[in-house]
Amino acid sequence: MDKQDKDYIWSKFKKTSIDSDLRTRNEQKKGNNIGFDQSTGLDNETIKENVLKLAEELKGLPHQVVKARAFEYVTENVRIDVSPHDWFVTFGCWDRNDRPLSPLMNKWSTEVDNNILKTGKLLNKQNHTGAAAMWTDFDHSVPDWDVILALGFPGLRERARRHRSKHEASGELSYEGKAYFDGIEITYTAILKMLERFRTYALEHEQSNERVTAVAKCLDTLINGAPANTYEVLQLIYLYFMFSEYIDRFQVRSLGNIDRIIYPYYVQDLKDGRYTENQIRDFFDYFLMQWASIDNYWGQPVYFGGTRKDGETEINELSYLILEEYDKLGIYTPKVQLKIAQNTPQKFLNMTCDMIRRGHSSLVFISEESVRRSLMGIGANQEEARTCDIWGCYEFTPKGNGNCTAPAYINVLKPIELIFNNGVDPSSGIDLGRHTGVLDTFKTFDDFYSAYLKQLDSIIENVISCTNDFEQYLSFISPAQMFSATVENSLKTMRDAFHNGCDYNPTMILHAGFATAIDALMAIKKFVYEKNELTLVQFKEILNDNWNGHERLRLKILHDKNKFGNGIESVDLYAEAIARFIANKINLRPNGRNGFYIASLHSARTFISLGQKTGATPDGRFAGEEISKNTSPTMGMDINGVTAMIKSVTRIDTAQFLDFPLDVMMHPATVQGENGLTAMRTLLETYFEKHGIAIHFNIFDAETLLDAQAHPDKYQGLQVRVCGWNVNFTELSRKEQDMFIRRARNISE
Amino acid sequence: MSTTGNILEVKRFSVHDGPGVRTTLFLKGCPLRCRWCHNPESIAQQPQQAYYSHKCINCGECVPVCPRKAHTLTNGIHHFDREKCLTCGECEMACLGNALRLHGKKITVEEALKLVLEDQDFYRIEGGVTLSGGEPLIQPKFCFELLTALKRKGINTALDTCGCVDWAAIEKVMPETDMFLFDFKHADSATHRMLTGQGNELIIANLQRLSDCGAKIEIRIPLVPGCNDSDANLQATGKLLSRLQLKRVKVLPYHAMARSKYLALGMDDTTPQVDHSDETAMLRALTILRENGVNAISGRE
Repeated sequence: MDKQDKDYIWSKFKKTSIDSDLRTRNEQKKGNNIGFDQSTGLDNETIKENVLKLAEELKGLPHQVVKARAFEYVTENVRIDVSPHDWFVTFGCWDRNDRPLSPLMNKWSTEVDNNILKTGKLLNKQNHTGAAAMWTDFDHSVPDWDVILALGFPGLRERARRHRSKHEASGELSYEGKAYFDGIEITYTAILKMLERFRTYALEHEQSNERVTAVAKCLDTLINGAPANTYEVLQLIYLYFMFSEYIDRFQVRSLGNIDRIIYPYYVQDLKDGRYTENQIRDFFDYFLMQWASIDNYWGQPVYFGGTRKDGETEINELSYLILEEYDKLGIYTPKVQLKIAQNTPQKFLNMTCDMIRRGHSSLVFISEESVRRSLMGIGANQEEARTCDIWGCYEFTPKGNGNCTAPAYINVLKPIELIFNNGVDPSSGIDLGRHTGVLDTFKTFDDFYSAYLKQLDSIIENVISCTNDFEQYLSFISPAQMFSATVENSLKTMRDAFHNGCDYNPTMILHAGFATAIDALMAIKKFVYEKNELTLVQFKEILNDNWNGHERLRLKILHDKNKFGNGIESVDLYAEAIARFIANKINLRPNGRNGFYIASLHSARTFISLGQKTGATPDGRFAGEEISKNTSPTMGMDINGVTAMIKSVTRIDTAQFLDFPLDVMMHPATVQGENGLTAMRTLLETYFEKHGIAIHFNIFDAETLLDAQAHPDKYQGLQVRVCGWNVNFTELSRKEQDMFIRRARNISE
Repeated sequence: MSTTGNILEVKRFSVHDGPGVRTTLFLKGCPLRCRWCHNPESIAQQPQQAYYSHKCINCGECVPVCPRKAHTLTNGIHHFDREKCLTCGECEMACLGNALRLHGKKITVEEALKLVLEDQDFYRIEGGVTLSGGEPLIQPKFCFELLTALKRKGINTALDTCGCVDWAAIEKVMPETDMFLFDFKHADSATHRMLTGQGNELIIANLQRLSDCGAKIEIRIPLVPGCNDSDANLQATGKLLSRLQLKRVKVLPYHAMARSKYLALGMDDTTPQVDHSDETAMLRALTILRENGVNAISGRE
C-alpha cells in the first residue's frame, strides 16, 4: 500500500472533531488531513440540533418513522468524501462518541428511565455496589451477510416491500406493522440516495483519477442492485457497517464469515480476468485498514472457516490470502475468530499458530463441535449450529435469525463480601436485600457455602428483574431499521429484529470473578474451618482493614496451592458446582422480549470495573484489585502450567454456556520451532476434545513485559489480548501490567 | 511397582524433550560433573535443600517448623544453617517467599506413574513421557519398571541419557524405550574427562551398540563456548556420529542461567562465563556437522 494512501486511511477516523479541524481541502488532497469539503454538507453540531428539531416536528408519529426520518436527514446533510487515496468512501459523522442520532436516542431512553421502568432503583443499587453491571445494550447486532450480499441495498428494500404487500393483502398490516415497514422504506431509500450523493461527488471530482472512477462505478452497481465482484462486495460490507454503526446506531458485531461469503466472487473475478490476485490483495489491504484505523478498543470481529454442508472445511485459498495480508499489515483489528473443526487443514492451523507466536494475539480459536453442543442445548438444530455466526469476542448465535444482547455482567465474587456484611455492601452501605445471617451462625464451611449460593442467587434474581424490565423498550428507544430488513423472520412477523423479531432473541448474562470467587471460598474452607487459623469475625475485620498489618496471613493464603486452575479436583469440584448453579438459574428463563436468557462465562472488561467496586476478599486480594476474567484462573494463581489449567477449566460442562473463553499465556521458548507449533496445535486439539469453546494465546516472557513497562517507547507495538480484545501493553494501567507480569512469572520454558 | 526412585521434579507440558507434548520426569543423581551443568540440583542422588536468599522475605515462618532449628531469625533477618538441615522439607511448605525449595524426594514407581499420567490426554499420538535427569539409568530398576508400565498403557516413552552407565542398564530398558535422547559432549576422551570428570570411551561404546541394535536415537550436543565449540572437536564429533544410525543431531544453545541455583545449593559455581549465546557459533557448528553427513539441527528449530 502506497504511503500517502496509508496516511489518508490512518487519519480518516482520527478521534478529533472534524469541524474543529480547519485544515483545508487541499491539504487533505495530499493525504494528511481528515477535514471534509465543507460545501458537501453541514457540521455535526448543526445536524444534531436539527435532528432534535425534526423529532419535535414529528412528535406523535411512531418512533420507527421519526428515527428513519432523522436517519434520512443525516444522510442528506452530512459531509462526505471520496478520495483518490482510498477504495472506500467516507462521511463526516464517524465518531462513535458523537453520533448524530444520539441526542434523540438519549431523549427516548430518558423517557423510559424516568416514566416507565419499575426497577430503576434496583438497577442503580446493583451498578453502584458492583454486584453487577447493567446497561441497555445496542451493541451486538449481526446482520445476515449472505442476504445482504445476495440482494444489495435495493434488493433488501424490494424484499421488505414484498413482505409489506403480503401482509397488506392478508389484512394483517397493523398500525405497528405499517410503522415498521415505513421505517425500513425511509431508511433504505435514504441509503440509496446517499450512495448517489457519493457517486455524483466522485464523478465531479474524479479528475481522471482511475480509482475515483472505479469507486463511482462500484457505487453505481450498488445503487442499482447487488454487488457482482470482490471489490463491490467489500464496499457493500463497509458501507453497511458505516451506516449501521454511525447513523443507525447499531454496532455491527461481526463482518461475517468473510472467507466463505466472498470466495465465489473471488473465484469468478480470477476466472473472468476481472482482477488479478494482486489487485484483490490490494482491495483487502484497504478494507482491513479501515478497521485498524477506526481502532475501537474492543476490536472489530470478523471470522473465518467453518464446515460446509457436505462436511468439508470452509477454509479456502481466500482464507489464506486474507490472513497473509492481515499478517503483512501487522494490525490487530479487525480481530480474527477462527471456526475450527476436525476438518480444518493442518496447514491452516500451522499458519495461524505461527502468526500467534509471532505476536498476533488477536487471533482466537473457536471449536465448532463445542459450539454445537451449546447451541443445541438451547434448542437450535444441527444446521443452525453448523452455520452459526461467531460475533463479539467469542459469542455465537444462529445466523440471520438470532439477536443476542449482552446487557448484564454479574460479579461472582461479590457474594463473599455480602456474606461478611449480612447482605450490605460495606463501602456504600447499600443493603442489597438478602440477609444471610451473622457470621457466628456459620458453624461449618457448608453453612458458609450455602450462604454464598443464596447471595449469588439474589444477585442473579435482581439482574433478571431489571433486565426483564428495561429490555421491553429496546425498539422504543432505538428501532433497528437497517438490521430488521436483513432478517426474514422479522419481515414475516413485522417485529423489530433487534428487539423480538428473530427466531432467537436471547439475552446473555455474563460473569466476572468466577475463579477468584472459588479461590476465596477455598481460603475460607482451609484457613477458617480446617486449620482454624482465624474466625470469620476476625477475617471480616482484616478484610475491612484491607489486610493492613496482616501481610503474612495474606501471603500464606496467596501461596496456598488450593486455587482454581491448577488441576486440583477438590477445588475444581466447587467451580463445577457453581458454574452449574449459574447455568441452571439463567438458561432458558424467559426474557423481556420474546426470548430467553443464556449464561456466559465471558467477563469482557468488567473484571476491572467490578473489581474496583469490590473490597478486599479472603483469597488474598486487596480492595479494588481486578477480579478474574473469563473462565481463567485469577491472574498469577495458575502455578501448575497450561495443561493443569485446561484440566480444571474443562471439568466444567461447557455445553451449559453460550460463551466459554480461556486465556492461555505461554513463554516464547515453549512455542519456538517445529515442536512449538505441535505443542500449540496439541493444546488446541486437547482443549477442544474436552469441549472447551474458545481459546486465545498470549506469548510472552516476564522479562519482555518488565522491559516494556520500563521502556514503553521501545514496545509501541506490543499487543496483549486482555479478554475479548487486544490492547497495547504500554497503554494498560500499571496495575494491569503488573498482573500480566505476575502471570508471566509463573510460566517458564 | 513398589520400587522407589529419587526424583527431582516432574515437568508437565514439556515440548523440547522428545516429540509432541510430554511430561518429563527428572531423576536425581549423575555420574558426570559437567562444568556447565544447568541442573546442579540433579547431580547428587540424595535430596538437597536449596535456599534462594534473594527471594526470602524474612517472614520467619520456617523457624518454628524446623525440627533441627536450622532456620533462625535474628533481628528480623533470616539465617539458614545448612549443616543442621536433614532435608525433611517442612520449611518449604511454610515458606511465604518461595525461597526454600527441597530438591529431591523418594517416590515409588506407582506414584511416579500417577504423576506422569496426569497429562495423558495431552500426549495424543506423538507425545508421551520422557525420563531425564541427572542420569536416569543410575536407577535402572526404577526406570525399567516405570517404562514398562507406561508401554503397557500404550504411552510413548523417551529416555534422556548421558550414556556413561553400564551397557546392561541400557540394554534392559531398550525394549521399553521408543526413543533415546543421547547426550554427546566431546569427541576427545581426555578433554571429556577434563570437562565432565569422566572419559568418553564407555559413552561412545554404548552409543555404538545402541545404534547397532537399531534403537531410535536423537543426539543432543550442548554447544558450550570455550568447551566443545572448536572446529576440531566439531569435525571429530561429526566424523564419529556419521558412522551411526541416528534420527538427528540436535545442537542446543547454551544459556548461563543456572548461577543462582549453585548459590542456593551452597555449591561451587563451575559454569563458564558467557553473556549470551552466539548465533554464528551455532550456525558454524551446524555447518561442520552437516558437512560430515550428520543430520544436524538447531535446538531452536
